[in-house]
Amino acid sequence: MQFIPVYLIFIPVITALFIYVFKNKHINYLALVAQLAMTILLIMYFTAYGDNPEATLFVFGDWDARVGISLYNDRLSISFMFLTIFTWWMVLIYTFNFRETDHNFLFFLMFLQGVFLGFLQSNDLFNLFVFLELTTIIVTILIAFKKTGDAYRAGIYYELINVSGVLFFLLGIIILYNSFGTINLLAIKAGLEGMEDLTALRMAYIFLMVGASVKAALFPLYTWLPKAHGVAQSGISALLSGLIVKGGLYLFIRINDMFSPANYSYSDFFFVVGGITAGIGVMFALSQKDIKQILAYHTVSQVGIMMMGLSSLPTNDLFYGGLYHVFNHALFKSLLFLGAGVIIKAYRSKKVADIRGVMRTMPVVSILMIVGMLSITGAPLFNGFISKTIIKYGIYDQEWKYWILFFVNIGTATSFIKMSQIFFGPRPMTIILKDAPQRLSMIIIAFSCVMLGTLYIPISSGYFGVDLSYITPFGLIPLYDYIATLTIGFCFYKLVIEKDVTMVRYIREFKVSFETANYLMIGYVVALVTYFIIL
Amino acid sequence: MDPILTFVVILIGFYGLSTSTNIIKSVFCVTIIESGVILLFLNLGNLDGGTIPIVGEGVTMIADPLPQALMITTIVIGSTVTALALMLCIKVFHHYGTVEWAEILRREEGK
Amino acid sequence: MTKHFIIIILLGVLLAVFTVAMQDIEVLYNTALKSYLIEGVIPRGFVETGSRNLVTAILLDYRLFDSLFEAGILLIAVSGIIWISKHDIEEKNAQFMYDKYKTPDLFVTFSRLVYPLMLTFGFYVIVNGHLSPGGGFQGGAIVASAILILYYIDHDKETNIGLIVTVEKFLYIAILLFASLSIFTRGTYFTNVFPPTASPDVQAIYLVILNIMIGFKVALGLWAIFTAFLKEGR
Repeated sequence: MQFIPVYLIFIPVITALFIYVFKNKHINYLALVAQLAMTILLIMYFTAYGDNPEATLFVFGDWDARVGISLYNDRLSISFMFLTIFTWWMVLIYTFNFRETDHNFLFFLMFLQGVFLGFLQSNDLFNLFVFLELTTIIVTILIAFKKTGDAYRAGIYYELINVSGVLFFLLGIIILYNSFGTINLLAIKAGLEGMEDLTALRMAYIFLMVGASVKAALFPLYTWLPKAHGVAQSGISALLSGLIVKGGLYLFIRINDMFSPANYSYSDFFFVVGGITAGIGVMFALSQKDIKQILAYHTVSQVGIMMMGLSSLPTNDLFYGGLYHVFNHALFKSLLFLGAGVIIKAYRSKKVADIRGVMRTMPVVSILMIVGMLSITGAPLFNGFISKTIIKYGIYDQEWKYWILFFVNIGTATSFIKMSQIFFGPRPMTIILKDAPQRLSMIIIAFSCVMLGTLYIPISSGYFGVDLSYITPFGLIPLYDYIATLTIGFCFYKLVIEKDVTMVRYIREFKVSFETANYLMIGYVVALVTYFIIL
Repeated sequence: MDPILTFVVILIGFYGLSTSTNIIKSVFCVTIIESGVILLFLNLGNLDGGTIPIVGEGVTMIADPLPQALMITTIVIGSTVTALALMLCIKVFHHYGTVEWAEILRREEGK
Repeated sequence: MTKHFIIIILLGVLLAVFTVAMQDIEVLYNTALKSYLIEGVIPRGFVETGSRNLVTAILLDYRLFDSLFEAGILLIAVSGIIWISKHDIEEKNAQFMYDKYKTPDLFVTFSRLVYPLMLTFGFYVIVNGHLSPGGGFQGGAIVASAILILYYIDHDKETNIGLIVTVEKFLYIAILLFASLSIFTRGTYFTNVFPPTASPDVQAIYLVILNIMIGFKVALGLWAIFTAFLKEGR
């Protein structure tokens, strides 16, 4: 029973290797078997150990935890693991037709799952570093998988910027190792207890945070995300936006948990960073014309909203708002990307202006897309509403924080009003599609969106022990609120975005080159240093 | 060697990364940063000067073995990252006919 | 120009803060916090793992899980590079650089002389990884560079890249299985098959076998990467 974490890591890895070696159509179905086995194992693990996280500490080789590598699970990591396996199920079902012919794709996909599950469970800083680098390399290959020019360019951009960010993470590990003589997260947390406030430790915290921020695509390090998520295949985009970006946020939570005895006041800094990220993401999303680019920039802005929640201390409800938004965003953003993939494949175009009449050609897909849009804009009864409302309640007393969220909501509404015009209009041509597996995966995700939006009280109190009964989606006030947001968004769209004023065009053509991105990274490090050490 | 000197190597890498406009140079800068990090860790692992971490008769003072083991992993990771980046670089060259970041962007818009 | 100036100032700030931080580290270094490794692992490492080389002890026993993924990263990179280097679609700017110049005779002759020496040295480093500096990763790299020299000796050498990669993947599965054999003898994953109480000579059997497997895997992986790059150049 205690070896289940190891099996969860190695079942997908070995499946991937078999798929690569045998190159057989029938062997490919092994992936589904492995997925089923992992689901069962994880449920068994949760029922056995979910309540006592101390028992989940597992050291390879039974060595002392300070020198060996250990795995550790609490409710948070187990919930992320459920999310991981769920997302992989959806992507596997979605790429069902494609999978039969392409074992290479399936190899990288399954290997990435094992690596990501290992990343979530690891309790060792250097092990985290190895998994981060492995994730970077596999994602680079998956981005460049289409073998077009811009895919290669996005791949190399992604790889270099992430590797240099993760090297900062390694620098942090070096300082911590030389301070504590161990790189075990729990041991360092124990060692920080009663430790005096040293510049070296603050430096280590900063370096680790830079690694997490690059992975989570916070401002000003988000520049790789729209490029990478825009060019990848739709299934991969859903995976990257839905899950892999959250790896950075997970790292953020774990590092802050590790440094919690040191009591650094990080809340305000990261709230502002999250707010700027959200604003910038929405601003760029409004100006884009390419469906996948719009969705990718919305990932940036939603990561900003999550960061606004997660930047608060884990005892606040605001923190759970951010955490809840991580899961909700994983669902609705993968739904939107998967739907966009089906539409793009049918219309052979990525431009919003070229796509019309989706409602007539693909009624099921468009209803599912609308569910995703209602969720992301925060309509009552859908899951986006819940997390946005928790965050709204959490920052109610500070007006400037409230306004940031308000403007981001308006921007999101405007952007999706703009995107919703693809549904209307005449039926362009007869489009024959074999998309049964795609539709199946999208229906499951849409269903869970509605589920999380209505059954949030038992889920959150049963799992995290947080009481959310003060949020009521059935009243008239949330509805008025939502309709008001939509109206303002619609006016804004008609007045500014549709006319394509010079400002919008300027933002659309604004590109951050690679050297500037690194320049901004150094600037970000210095900003952190200024906030945490000099001030 | 002073650990601060190795940190200067890392900073040189970052200087190059934020000023060079060529993909190959960017790849090399990442390699430089990586070498700097490796040197820094090995340096700090042996501040009071011991011999290689091999136990035997008459060996009293040895260097800390853990940084050395970790750095082997980092070197292997670094070499694979470089190899992948260079292969992507070749492919970018085949597609755009150039390895300048700005020029690639210009040619992409020109299409 | 201002851009260069600002970046130098920013980096200067980082350097200054790091210099301050280093003084803390030098103070911390001598405190009791590091004592576990100094007093725990260094005297006990040889007895517990059977490896005189403590780096190998850490790589192949204490932190074998990391080393498995270190080999995995190479495996992923090999398949990725091979997938990317395949010419499936039209590349308008592809110009192939033929070897215009013949390799100098002197170089070829010396390569012939050095090739067996390098191969032997590589094997020596792999097999003696637990006794002297070296191990599977380092020795594998030496063997792979010896194989690379073969390309200079024989220009038109054709390599079956698919076969290399398949063998590499099987070797990786074998490494995973061999590393998890300890579940039967010691009841836990990824450590020495033989218990810590066994004599170091017995424990060394496991280390040598694992080193050889990792060495071959690394050599094959690097060979495949070389071949992919060489094909790109031809």
